[in-house]
Amino acid sequence: MTDSLELDGKRVSFSAGETLLEVARRHGKEIPTLCHDPRLKPAGACRTCLVEVNGFRRMPPACATRATADMQVTTNSERIQRHRQGLLSLYLTDHPETQPERLSKNQLVEMAERYGAAGDWGSMASERAGRREDRNPYVHFEPDLCILCARCTRYCDEVEAVNAITLAHRGAKTTIATVDQASLMDTSCELCGGCIDVCPTGAMTEKLPLTRQVKPSKHLKVVRSTCNYCGVGCQLDLNVDTSANEGRGKVVRVTSPETGTTTNDGNLCVKGRFAYDFVDHPDRLTVPLIRQPDGSFKEASWEEAIRVAADGLSRVKSRHGADALGFVSSSRCTMEDNYVVQKLSRAAFGTNNCHQCAAT
Amino acid sequence: MAGPATGVPSGARIPDLRLRTDLVSGFLRRRDCVVPSCRSMFRSKKRHELPDALREIGGLADGRSKQAAERTGVPEAEAYGVATFYHLLARPDVSLRVCTGLSCRMAGADAVLETAQALGISSEGCSCLAACDVPPAVLAGRRVLPRVTATTLKQAGSVAALGSAEWKGAIGPDPGDAASLALHLAAPPDFSGRAFAAAQQLGADGVIAAIETSGLQGRGGAGFPAHIKWKGVASQAEKVRYVVLNADEGEPGTFKDREVLLRRPDLVLEGMAIAAAAVGASDVYLYLRGEFEIPWGIVEAAIAQFTASGVLGDVRFHMHAGNGAYICGEETALLEALEGKRGMPRLKPPFPTEFGLWGKPTLMHNVETIGCVPAIVLRGGEWFKQLGKTEAGSKLYCISGDVQRPGTYELPLGVCLDELVEAAGGYVGELRAFSPGGASSGFLPASERTRPLDFRALADAGSMLGSAGVVVLNTSADLKRAVFDQLRFFEDESCGQCAPCRIGTRYLREQFIKHQDAPDVRVEALRHAAEVAWEMNEGSICGLGQAAPLPLTSAMQHFPEEFEA
Repeated sequence: MTDSLELDGKRVSFSAGETLLEVARRHGKEIPTLCHDPRLKPAGACRTCLVEVNGFRRMPPACATRATADMQVTTNSERIQRHRQGLLSLYLTDHPETQPERLSKNQLVEMAERYGAAGDWGSMASERAGRREDRNPYVHFEPDLCILCARCTRYCDEVEAVNAITLAHRGAKTTIATVDQASLMDTSCELCGGCIDVCPTGAMTEKLPLTRQVKPSKHLKVVRSTCNYCGVGCQLDLNVDTSANEGRGKVVRVTSPETGTTTNDGNLCVKGRFAYDFVDHPDRLTVPLIRQPDGSFKEASWEEAIRVAADGLSRVKSRHGADALGFVSSSRCTMEDNYVVQKLSRAAFGTNNCHQCAAT
Repeated sequence: MAGPATGVPSGARIPDLRLRTDLVSGFLRRRDCVVPSCRSMFRSKKRHELPDALREIGGLADGRSKQAAERTGVPEAEAYGVATFYHLLARPDVSLRVCTGLSCRMAGADAVLETAQALGISSEGCSCLAACDVPPAVLAGRRVLPRVTATTLKQAGSVAALGSAEWKGAIGPDPGDAASLALHLAAPPDFSGRAFAAAQQLGADGVIAAIETSGLQGRGGAGFPAHIKWKGVASQAEKVRYVVLNADEGEPGTFKDREVLLRRPDLVLEGMAIAAAAVGASDVYLYLRGEFEIPWGIVEAAIAQFTASGVLGDVRFHMHAGNGAYICGEETALLEALEGKRGMPRLKPPFPTEFGLWGKPTLMHNVETIGCVPAIVLRGGEWFKQLGKTEAGSKLYCISGDVQRPGTYELPLGVCLDELVEAAGGYVGELRAFSPGGASSGFLPASERTRPLDFRALADAGSMLGSAGVVVLNTSADLKRAVFDQLRFFEDESCGQCAPCRIGTRYLREQFIKHQDAPDVRVEALRHAAEVAWEMNEGSICGLGQAAPLPLTSAMQHFPEEFEA
């Protein structure tokens, strides 16, 4: 069902259930957001997306307001501009003046520049507590940079259903906390790092030493790849320092593709996001190896290796019958790979002895 | 041996099985309700028991949130989030809290707190205890004790020795004719249920028509026409509906709801039963602020009396104690608290009449509003309407500060300050300023003493009637200290959810201190105050943040001499 409303004086259509933010963005209107994430239910907490709607005394948040027929919506006006500048100026009073060179862009600072927020309203003492000491290896929380948009806590709740972190305390002391401010290791946290991905200001980041040698994001090349830890096939973005390793490049960080563009919708698990060291680990196998009679391995081509394997398997089959063979494939293989392995087992060798390690 | 047939016949069209991610993400976006607060609604069936569980376990301390989580099935982190939100849960070891509200401060609360600390009592200042008529008030455990001065505390020497007797505040004036008051606090409680019986005769439509005729406006602060809410709930397609009593009275300067609960719980319960029948609800929830230990006992006894006699039909009353958070007086924050969550206001719309407690249509009223209902049913809407002076009904005004007899006075809605103070025995000293409706209404100068204290006239003056908590300041009062107290109150009580309020309340308080303490930046410190106030009003989610700058901006407007360099 579609209906229409008036967006900045122009008639546009929308589908039932769409929010004003979705309609406006679909029509190329610029509405800033900080707490919005399409994966999460709207919170309307950051207040950056307020728009004017005829008949509404107060400016409603575009992210949480559903479009209704014949609404008259204004996405830019003097009132909206004044609000954005005032709001962002207030945010800046509660934000560190000097920004450390960060892995991620600080969307708040960028937004403040873009909308001309005054940076001279002074600064105030922030009392947001951090975790006393957190021995988890991956996630670092910098309370000073936090703007309490609650994307991380909502993500942890609504997407991951893990609920390791929460908003705690209230008023200006509100902070992001774990139960009793314990280390993430002592909570239900699965270290998926989604909190890092959703954080708009870099308050949640990868921990040292994961980030020790990382250059700011503008110096890194982003390469879309497929996580090979399991068959799900999550898409991830390898951030490559192209000058490292004598020009061969080095993966220094993994980030999520934009929400809504991949099947995993930007979600990753601890392995996909943090366990990329294997890529250039010296123990990693990069060419086939054939075991020699003396037990040592010799590098070989794929043709050679496949021939040796085929010969060996055929030999067992001819000597002991097909059911003397068994095929086990890896959960790191894709569904298609697994399909081919069972095909190889059943059609090429003639045995139903096939299995996949995740199928237990 | 052939494998299973898998080949695709040549020439067959292979369907495109690639996932349409645009459709998937679109679906993900719209799969559910736009209201954030319903997200964990279906998780734990015992979530609403979380605050009580935390309280029974003893409040916040390492390990307690985990215990409460185990007991209720709520995630540990969320239990911690709730425990840290509510003052009475977050700091369970404080044995004495001294009210730092305006009237208590004027009556020497600072000295009480100093004395308590000198005596080694674990103590702290706290937000208004709804006892401004008996200042200075203190909270021992969860019991409000009246008129505890530094001297009495010193003589007592300990919290236990202060006693715990039940008490009531002063009321007035004596109407002569009982038929001129809707609540009539001086009359003995009436447990006969005759208003409920009369409502059954009228039928739901008849009752709602009477409410509409009466012109009853919500007496919690907003002044919203009551009948619109009643009709709103009654007309919902959803048949499970609730009625909720907002007895989280906490607006500094306000104590009328306390007095109604202490003296006429019958009116409130009967009003709730009438409302429930009229809007098709059978469960009624009463949310009393955690500090209302004495009213709690009185209401509990009244419920028992009504339940025993059965005169209110089969309505079921459920009582819920707050845990120390002014923001829970905001209706949607109250609903969150009832559901066992952090009391952070929801976005509106949708309003509670459509999406209220557990997502069901909910009629919510302030104690005084619902207390007017039995009289309206018995005497008719037109009668109620005529009781008012400039707007409908009689009204409970709370008056404290520099007046002879602070208390709760039921007068025609629309009397002016002079008339109100006359009922309270007159001014003490010479009037300089007054706050007409709690901290949220800011300050008005003495020249406004004849302005009707009603919803419209005060809104026209840039103030509000709010909860009609009138505080009078005479020429000896420290106005700037009063401004500071109100600013700090809002900072302490901001829920922290939205930036304009969370940051703005602290910013204004800090800048105000700079203005006070640093002569070189005296004017500069408040240079952006007006713009911050504008943004807080425009950008905040709920009324707290919207009203929070008013004590400062109204003082700057009406008393500019206080702010000159």
